[in-house]
Amino acid sequence: MAFDIGGTFTDFVLAAKDAPPRFLKLPSTPDDPARAVINGFATLLDAAGIQGADLDAVLHATTVATNAIIERKGRPTALITTEGFRDVLIIGRQKRYETYDLYMDKPAPLAPRRAIFEVQERLDHHGHVIEPLDDASVDAAVRAVEAGGYESVAVALLHAYANPAHEQAVGRALAKRLPDIPVTLAASISPKFREYERTSTAVANAYVRPIVDKYVQRLEGALKGHGFQKSMFIMQSAGGLVSPEIAREQPVRIVESGPAAGVLLAAMVGAEEGADHVITFDMGGTTAKLGAVDNGEPAVTPTFEVDPVRYRPGSGLPINVPAVELLEIGAGGGSIARVDLGVIHVGPESAGADPGPICYGRGGIEATVTDANLALGYINPDFFNAGAMQLDRDAALDGIRRAVAEPLGLSVEEAAWGIHTVANGNMERAMRIVSVERGRDPRRYAIVAFGGAGPLHAARIAKSIGAPRVLAPFGAGVGSAIGLLQAAPKIESSITRVMALENGAETEIAAIYEELRKRADTDLARLGAGGSPIWTRYGYLRYRGQGYEIRATLPDGPIDATFPAAAAAAFHAAYEQAYGYHDEAAAIEAVDWHLVATLPQPAGALDLGWRAPEGAMPKPRMRPTWQPEAGGFVDTPIHDRQQLPAGAAVKGPAIIEDPESTLVVPGGMWATVTERGHILIDIGQMVADGSNAP
Amino acid sequence: MTIDPITLTVVWNGLLSIAEEMGSTLRRTAFSEAVREGEDFSTGVFDAQARLVAQGNFTPGHLGSMPYVVKTVLEYFPADTLQPGDAILLNDSFLGSGHFPDCFLVSPSFLQDRIVGYVVTTAHHIDVGGAAPGSQRVHGVTEAFQEGLRILPVKLIRGGAFDQDLLRMILGNVRVPEKVEGDLRAQANATRAGALRLSTLFDEQGVDIVEAAHEAILDRSEQRMRELIGDIPDGRYAFEDQLDDYGPDTPPIIVAVDVTVAGDEVEVDFSRSSDQVPAALNSYINYTRAYTMFAVKVFCDALLPQNHGGMRPIRTVAREGSFFNPKFPASSGGRAAVQIRIFDAINGALSQALPHRGMGAFSHWSNPNIGGTDPETGKPFVMYDLGFGGYGGRADKDGAEGLAPVMNCRNIPVEVHETNTPVRIHRLELMADSGGAGKYRGGTGLRKDVELLAESAVMTGLGDRHVNPPFGIFGGKPGALAYTILNPNGNAQELGSKEVVNLMKGDVVSFQLSGAGGYGDPAERDPAKIKADLADGYVTPDGARNHYGYSSQETD
Repeated sequence: MAFDIGGTFTDFVLAAKDAPPRFLKLPSTPDDPARAVINGFATLLDAAGIQGADLDAVLHATTVATNAIIERKGRPTALITTEGFRDVLIIGRQKRYETYDLYMDKPAPLAPRRAIFEVQERLDHHGHVIEPLDDASVDAAVRAVEAGGYESVAVALLHAYANPAHEQAVGRALAKRLPDIPVTLAASISPKFREYERTSTAVANAYVRPIVDKYVQRLEGALKGHGFQKSMFIMQSAGGLVSPEIAREQPVRIVESGPAAGVLLAAMVGAEEGADHVITFDMGGTTAKLGAVDNGEPAVTPTFEVDPVRYRPGSGLPINVPAVELLEIGAGGGSIARVDLGVIHVGPESAGADPGPICYGRGGIEATVTDANLALGYINPDFFNAGAMQLDRDAALDGIRRAVAEPLGLSVEEAAWGIHTVANGNMERAMRIVSVERGRDPRRYAIVAFGGAGPLHAARIAKSIGAPRVLAPFGAGVGSAIGLLQAAPKIESSITRVMALENGAETEIAAIYEELRKRADTDLARLGAGGSPIWTRYGYLRYRGQGYEIRATLPDGPIDATFPAAAAAAFHAAYEQAYGYHDEAAAIEAVDWHLVATLPQPAGALDLGWRAPEGAMPKPRMRPTWQPEAGGFVDTPIHDRQQLPAGAAVKGPAIIEDPESTLVVPGGMWATVTERGHILIDIGQMVADGSNAP
Repeated sequence: MTIDPITLTVVWNGLLSIAEEMGSTLRRTAFSEAVREGEDFSTGVFDAQARLVAQGNFTPGHLGSMPYVVKTVLEYFPADTLQPGDAILLNDSFLGSGHFPDCFLVSPSFLQDRIVGYVVTTAHHIDVGGAAPGSQRVHGVTEAFQEGLRILPVKLIRGGAFDQDLLRMILGNVRVPEKVEGDLRAQANATRAGALRLSTLFDEQGVDIVEAAHEAILDRSEQRMRELIGDIPDGRYAFEDQLDDYGPDTPPIIVAVDVTVAGDEVEVDFSRSSDQVPAALNSYINYTRAYTMFAVKVFCDALLPQNHGGMRPIRTVAREGSFFNPKFPASSGGRAAVQIRIFDAINGALSQALPHRGMGAFSHWSNPNIGGTDPETGKPFVMYDLGFGGYGGRADKDGAEGLAPVMNCRNIPVEVHETNTPVRIHRLELMADSGGAGKYRGGTGLRKDVELLAESAVMTGLGDRHVNPPFGIFGGKPGALAYTILNPNGNAQELGSKEVVNLMKGDVVSFQLSGAGGYGDPAERDPAKIKADLADGYVTPDGARNHYGYSSQETD
C-alpha cells in the first residue's frame, strides 16, 4: 500500500504481484492528516478483501513537514550558536528578492532572536580548535533553553562541518539536563560550509521535529491497530525511502516527499517507454512543478528553498539536504489573468481551490487559466473531476470578457487563447531554466505531464522548447502514490572537505569515504530494509576559483592512485554536459563528498499494469474547441481515455478525457495509446507506425 | 506595423527571459566572490538602434550607463565593422558605470548577416590594478590614472575567440589574473548565450514583429512612468544631507538635491552639492543617473519593467564639475559608497510629496578591501567584503534588519571568506540600541570584526556615517553613528571611514555600521513593540528608557 498526502487530496494505491492495482482518492484532513490515511487504508483493505497483516510494506509521502514550515506551526525552537554569530540566521544572505521594493521584509526566521543563545568556542575551516568549548557558557545556554520553555533545539557552530566535536559536546549537555527535548546538530544533518544555509537547515529540522514525530507515531500506531506488522517507509526529498525512525529524527529530509514521488513516477513512465531523459511537468491548481530525469535517474540538487515568496528564487528558507530538482512557479489552473501595460499577465496570484476559478461557481470573480481552458472548449463542463462538479461556462466567458477581452479590444475567445498562451509562455520559461540553462538539450528529453492541468498544456510547450515527445501516464491522477511503489530505500551521507583533486589525494579521499561509510552503516542498521546495498559515490566539484559546484558520479571500486584522475575525468564530462565546454588544464577542487546506499524495493516487483479495454476504439463524441491554426472553433473529436485500447492512434486536433485530467492533442500531432496504457504525443508530424492512424 | 497583444506578450517575456538567462550563465560560471556570491553584475538586451529593451533583475548600479553603453560602443565600432561572435570591452568610468572595476562586454546578435540587436553584460571585477587591492582606494587617489587599467572600447573577442594580445595586457595589469580572466570568460559565455537566443527570437517571430514589439514596449513603459509621475503632487522638493568626508582630515561633502515634479516629468538636480573632490569617491553622471532612476522607480512602481522607455521622463541633472557630475580624470573607484546617499537624499525630498512611500535613512554600508599575500599559497589575495545593516523605519512598519540596501547584493559567508582568504572573523552581529528611534524604528547597525592571519596587508576602508548619522523622518530619530576600530580588544584605535591602513598579522578591524533612521515620533511607538524589541535584544532596558522613556518595571 502506498499513499501520498497532498494539500487537497490523499491518494492511495494498493498493489500486488498477481492482481491489478486499486486506486483511491480521498479529501485530505489537514487538521489531522492521519485521519484520511486511516480511513483510506481501511477502505482499500476491505475492497480487496484482505487484512492489514497481509501487507508486506506501507510506503508513504507527506506534506506534514512542509506545511508546518509554511504555516509556521512548528514548536518553539531554540538555536545555540558560536559566540559573536547570534545573528547569522536573522541576517541570512541579505539580498532582496525584489530589487525595487524597499518595503519588503524577509521571511520570519523559524527561531526568533530571543531564542538564539551563544557558546564560547571557535574552530577554523580545517576543523582545528582555535578556542576550546567553554563549559560555563554551555551551561548558561542550556539553562536559557530550559527557562524559555523551548520544545526543540538546534545547535549550529561555525565550521562544525569540519569537526563536529563541539556541537556533539553541546548536544550531550542538552541531553543530560533536558532529556525530553530533541536536539538537532547542524553538522549531523548538513555537514557543509556556508553557515547561514547550514544553520537554516538545522533550525528547520528542529522546528518541525516535534510535529513529525507525533504524526509518525500516531500513524504507526493506527496501522498496527489495523493489523499491519511489517515495515513502513517514508519518502525522502531526494527520492529514496527511509524508516520512520530516521524521518522522526531528521524530518527536514522529507520536506519534498510528495514531489519526489511524482518525479519517480515520471522516471518509471519514461523507462517503460524507452525515454531515459525526462522533464517532469506536474501542473495542478496553484502551481506547476518541473523536474528532470537524466539517464534514468531523477535529478537531485544538494540544496533547495522552502516557502518562497511569490516563487521568487532567494525568498525562501534554504534547506541544505538533497532533494529532487524541482522548479515551482505560480502557474496552475487557478492562476489569475490580468492586463497591464497592454499585455496579459497570468499568475502568480491564484484563486486556489477556494473560491477557485469563476466557472466553479463558488464565488470566484477573477478570470483564471481554467476559465480560459473551459472557454476554449478544452475542458468538458459536465465531466470535470469525473462529473463531480458542473462548470459554468457562461460565467467564465463573462469574467474573461471583463478582465482581458474588453481592456485589450479582443474577442472573448481570443482573450481566452491569450491567457492560455501566456500561461504556456510562463511554463516554457520555467522549462527552459530546467533544460537549457542547466545543460539539458530539450531535443533529447520527453516531457511527462501529469497533475490535473499538465496534459492540457504540455504538447504546445513541448513544441516551443523543441522536445520531441509528451507522455501522459496511466494513473496520472494518483501519480505520486504510484511513484512511491517505484522507490527504493536509500541512505545518503555527505560531508564538506574542500581539497584539490590531484594525484596523492587518494589517501584523504579514502579516509573521507571510510567515514561516510561508517555513518551510512549506522543509518542502515536503523532502516529496517532487507537486502544488501548498492553503493554510489558522488562528488560536488568545481574548477579551482569558481564558487558553484556541479555533481559528478565518482568511480566505484577501491580508492587507489588512479582514483583522482578517474574522478577528474568524470567531472570534465559532467562540466561539458552542463556548460558545453571543459578545461582539461585547469585545476579541480572538490567541495562536497556524498555516498549513497540503495537497497532493493521493499515490496519487490508489483503488477501496476494497465488493463486495456476490449474491442475496437469507440467513435468519439464531437465538441467545438479553439484551434488557432484553423483560425477559430473547430468541431473536435472528444475521446474517453478509459475506452481507448492499446495502439489506438488519435489525430490532432483532439481531446482525450480522463476522470482527473484532460489531454489536448493540437492539430498536426498524433497521440497513441502505448501497450502500458500511457499516451504518447509525437510532437513531430507522424507516429512511428503510421498504420494505426484512423 | 501594429502588433497584437498576445504576440507582444510572448516577445516581451522572451526578451526578459534572455536577460535573465544571461545572468544565470554569468553567475554560474564566474570565478570571483564579487560576481558569484555578491551578484554584483547586470545584463541587458538592446534593439538594433541601441535602445535598452530589457534588463535583468540584478544590481541597479549599472542602470545609468546600461541604456547608453551600446551607443558608445557603436561610436567606436560602427555596426558594419562587427562580425558574429565579436565582443567589445570597456570599463572607462565616464563611459561606463563610474569606476574601472565595472567591465562591460557588448556583443552584436546576428540573424543571417544582419544585426538585429545587442546583448550586454556588466560585472564588477575584483581588481583592475591601481593604487590598492580591489581598485577602490579612496584616500590619496586624486586622479583616475592611479586607479588601474582604463579600457576605452576594444574588441576583446573576435569571431568568438579572445584576442590573446589584449587579454595578456589586461591580465598583466591586475592583481588576481585568474579571477579576472575567469570572470571575463563567464561574461563571454553569457553574451554568447544571449546573442544566440536573441537571434532565435527574431527568427521565430519575424524581424518586423519583434521590432514593432520593441516600439510598443518602450512606448508603454514610458507612458506608464508618465502616469505614475503624474500622480505625484507637482512641486519642488529639496533635501540636504552630508557625506562625512573623503578621507582623514577632509571636509564633508554636501549632498543636496532638488526634485521638481511638473506634470508627467521629474527633474532631479544635484547641482547644489559640493564640487568634485580629490579622492576616489566622485559619482560620475552615469552613476548619479543610475541611482536617481532607481529612487524614482522605488517611489513610483517597484515592478515597472526596466528599459529605456521608463527612463525617458526622468531627467538627472548635476552641475559639471560637481561631486555628482565630475570631469575626467576625477577619481571614482570608491564611488559605491555614495549610492545609498543618492537614494537617501531623493527619499528625503520625495517623502515630502509621498509620505506613505518614504523611509528613514539607511544604515550606511561597508565595503572594505583587504589585500596582501596568502601564506598558504604564496599568491596575492583580495578580501572583498560587503557589510549591510538595517533599513530606515517605514510608514507602517519598522525598518528591515540586515538587508542589502540600495544596491542589491548577497553577502559573502564567513566560512567562505575564511576558507579562501587568510582572515578570521570574530563577530557578525546586530548592535542593540543602534536603530533610530521612532514610531517605527530604524533597523540596527551591523558589526563585523575581521582579524588578519597573513603577515601583513593593506586595508582600504569604504564606509561613512561616522560623523553624520542616518536621518529619521517625520519626527523619527537618527540612527547611531558608525565606527571603525582597529584592535577593539587591545590598543583600540579609531579609524576614519575611508582610511587606508597597513595591517600586521593579528590585527583586528571592527566595522561597526550606523543604525538606520526612525520614522515618526518615538512617543507614538506601540509599547508592545518596545517590549518585543527588549525580548529580542534589539533594544536594551537602558535604550528603551533613553529613547522611548519606557521602563519595563512600570508596565509589568
